Amino acid sequence: MPTVIAIDPVTRLEGHLKVEVTIDGPNKTIVDAKATGTLFRGFENLLVNRDPWDAPHITQRICGVCPIPHGMAAVQALEQAAGKTVPANGRILRNLVLGANFVQSHLLHFYHLALLDFVVGPAMSPWNPGWDVDRRIAKADNDQLFNNYKLALTMTRKGHEMGAVFGGRMPHSPAFIPGGFTATPTSSQINQFRAYGQELLAFINTVYLKDVEYLAGVYPDYASLGRGHGNLMAFGVFDLDAAGKSKLLRPGIVHDGSKTVENLDIAAINEQVTHSWYDASTDNLPPATGITKPVYPKTDGYSWLKAPRYNGQPFEAGPLARMWINGDYTTGISIMDRHRARALETQKIALAMQEWLKQIVVGGAVYSDYTTPANAKGVGLTEAPRGALGHWVSISKGKIANYQVITPTCWNGSPRDKSHQLGPIEEALIGMNVSNADQPIEVLRLIHSYDPCLSCAVHVIKPSAVSRVKVIDMAGILA
Amino acid sequence: MQVSRRSFLKYCTAVSTALGLTPLDLMQIKEALASPTAPKVIWLQGSGCTGCTISFLNYVSGTAPRSAADVLIANINLLHHPNLTASAGSTVVKTIRDAINQGNFILIVEGGIPTQFGGNACIAWTENGKEKTFQDAVKELSAKAIKIICVGNCAAWGGMSASGGNPTGVKGVKAVTGKTTINIAGCPPHPDWIVGTIVQLLQGKAVALDSYGRPKSLFGRKLHEICPLKEREDAKTFGVAGRCLEELGCRGQSTFANCPTLKWNNGVNWCIGANAPCMGCTDPTFPGTEAFFKKGD
Repeated sequence: MPTVIAIDPVTRLEGHLKVEVTIDGPNKTIVDAKATGTLFRGFENLLVNRDPWDAPHITQRICGVCPIPHGMAAVQALEQAAGKTVPANGRILRNLVLGANFVQSHLLHFYHLALLDFVVGPAMSPWNPGWDVDRRIAKADNDQLFNNYKLALTMTRKGHEMGAVFGGRMPHSPAFIPGGFTATPTSSQINQFRAYGQELLAFINTVYLKDVEYLAGVYPDYASLGRGHGNLMAFGVFDLDAAGKSKLLRPGIVHDGSKTVENLDIAAINEQVTHSWYDASTDNLPPATGITKPVYPKTDGYSWLKAPRYNGQPFEAGPLARMWINGDYTTGISIMDRHRARALETQKIALAMQEWLKQIVVGGAVYSDYTTPANAKGVGLTEAPRGALGHWVSISKGKIANYQVITPTCWNGSPRDKSHQLGPIEEALIGMNVSNADQPIEVLRLIHSYDPCLSCAVHVIKPSAVSRVKVIDMAGILA
Repeated sequence: MQVSRRSFLKYCTAVSTALGLTPLDLMQIKEALASPTAPKVIWLQGSGCTGCTISFLNYVSGTAPRSAADVLIANINLLHHPNLTASAGSTVVKTIRDAINQGNFILIVEGGIPTQFGGNACIAWTENGKEKTFQDAVKELSAKAIKIICVGNCAAWGGMSASGGNPTGVKGVKAVTGKTTINIAGCPPHPDWIVGTIVQLLQGKAVALDSYGRPKSLFGRKLHEICPLKEREDAKTFGVAGRCLEELGCRGQSTFANCPTLKWNNGVNWCIGANAPCMGCTDPTFPGTEAFFKKGD
């Protein structure tokens, strides 16, 4: 007899998420899943009529865990609209502050958001009561891992201090401006950033990477769980040249876990709203002409995330997608592979930052005069720690006329589309077994592997609804 | 025989080797003794970005509490925090429900309260099969809380979430509940402002507030008064160090904050230190409607 289990709130992610899974059979196998973001703010709407220079600062407040990628996407969109490239120093400083955000965010994710799905914390709030289901780690190792959780809080703090060396303040750096960067680096600051980076690299190498491998060893079955569609997408990030042709992590598309990487075609992206609370007339629009027009109630709608699709297909974004597409990690696609790829990516970025520091020219220009075009469109494509991020801006009479953001969690947490294809997280849940229906830890472990950031999934609203146990079959038909 | 907490801990430390207690065991003993007496805190997040929590987690100090971890372990009994709580779903709801029934907790709110769409632009949790709007959750918790702290501008006055056309009708906690709130301003607030205020409350000290509900000791002086660049020549363009940023849009002359002396991120830098004009993020009207930066054309 199928049973619906709701988890609301899903904790230890950024923002607000509710998940409903339907379990059936003697192994309590997940046969259906629905992911719903439960917060809507409407950043795309509140940006309209503002000065375009405000975009990097306003959009950073989409997310306090990953503000810098939004700052980056915004300035890139504005620069593309004006056909502007920035001085090398500006490009490098932006990469360094973005890199610092990646390192801080990835450490935060593994230790403070994900690890408690596997490790028991001290006998006090907020670490207890936990869901003490399927705990396999021996006490001594468990206590060491929680010790590392506390050590990681020091490291995330230092990751932000590193970002502030050039970024001024973290989170929400004011230094991102169209045309370049505000901060003028000194030798002393370069040394300071380097020292932080070395300390973080030591932690990544001697603690983080080892802890992830330890976890993978104790939970080997999690390397075969949570594959989902196996479609991976990256916009690419960390420009290594002025034109952005060469990047530390390149853009690309992978279908169904293939080792063949195809070229990314931005024109192939549309957002569907069949199962989203938006007007049907706005269905399947490309983000450059996207519209956010809420409609409730709406038949078949269950989420305020739109369903971004690439050539009509759902795609997963994130460190695994980036590392796979870059050729750095092709071991597999699963819950554990996501954790491993994220850790390896953290190391890759930390190493790269040490090299980028050497390219800074003290006294060199960081900003090249940017004049806001009166009428223009631009797009900024980059990556947040959680995956591919795009900002699309339309400027009219020197003001923002339209602004659309597609975040990685919108891809990952999306609802079904018109072809009834599930979103990546929904699909990845199907087939997993739940050991305890009252404390479905397996569902948390799957969700957390994507490191969801729901505030970023801007098109989200869920009006009041009574959740009840429903009997439905796999076609979603009420039995 | 009465054994004081202090002497019990001394005993444990002294015989820890003989008893086979690890440092973590000792820590847990301390925690077990701390938690029954430490004030209970519930931290809710509404229409916001989590930046205030991230800023809080960056807290560091040379004196106790020395870190955010210290605060969580030794100073407060954090019953629930959406980003940190180990459990999820109905377990979380039970923890909150029990706290409401028992009362005697401090409520911390991060993020504003959306009031459009029947409050359904933000759902706090599902309880007994029914979704609870953030608006209703804050109203219910604030009625039982002994103190309410708004961390960040969104919780205090709506902030970024309420800007522009305020598409979801976001309001601050006082506007929705009518209750007096301690408003730790900032977008985000400096971690010292957050922890300092909490520690003051735990020590039983009254926190004097200005007319906006902000602690006077933190927001009593204009940033410009203590800015080291105020006598400097004006910067005419971006990317220039050591100049006054007034012509580029700096709001320091109308903003109350001690950023020039406190600095940010463990003293590493601050907005103006990175040649970025102050955006006035501790002001109740932040972000405002004017552009932050001016090109000085």
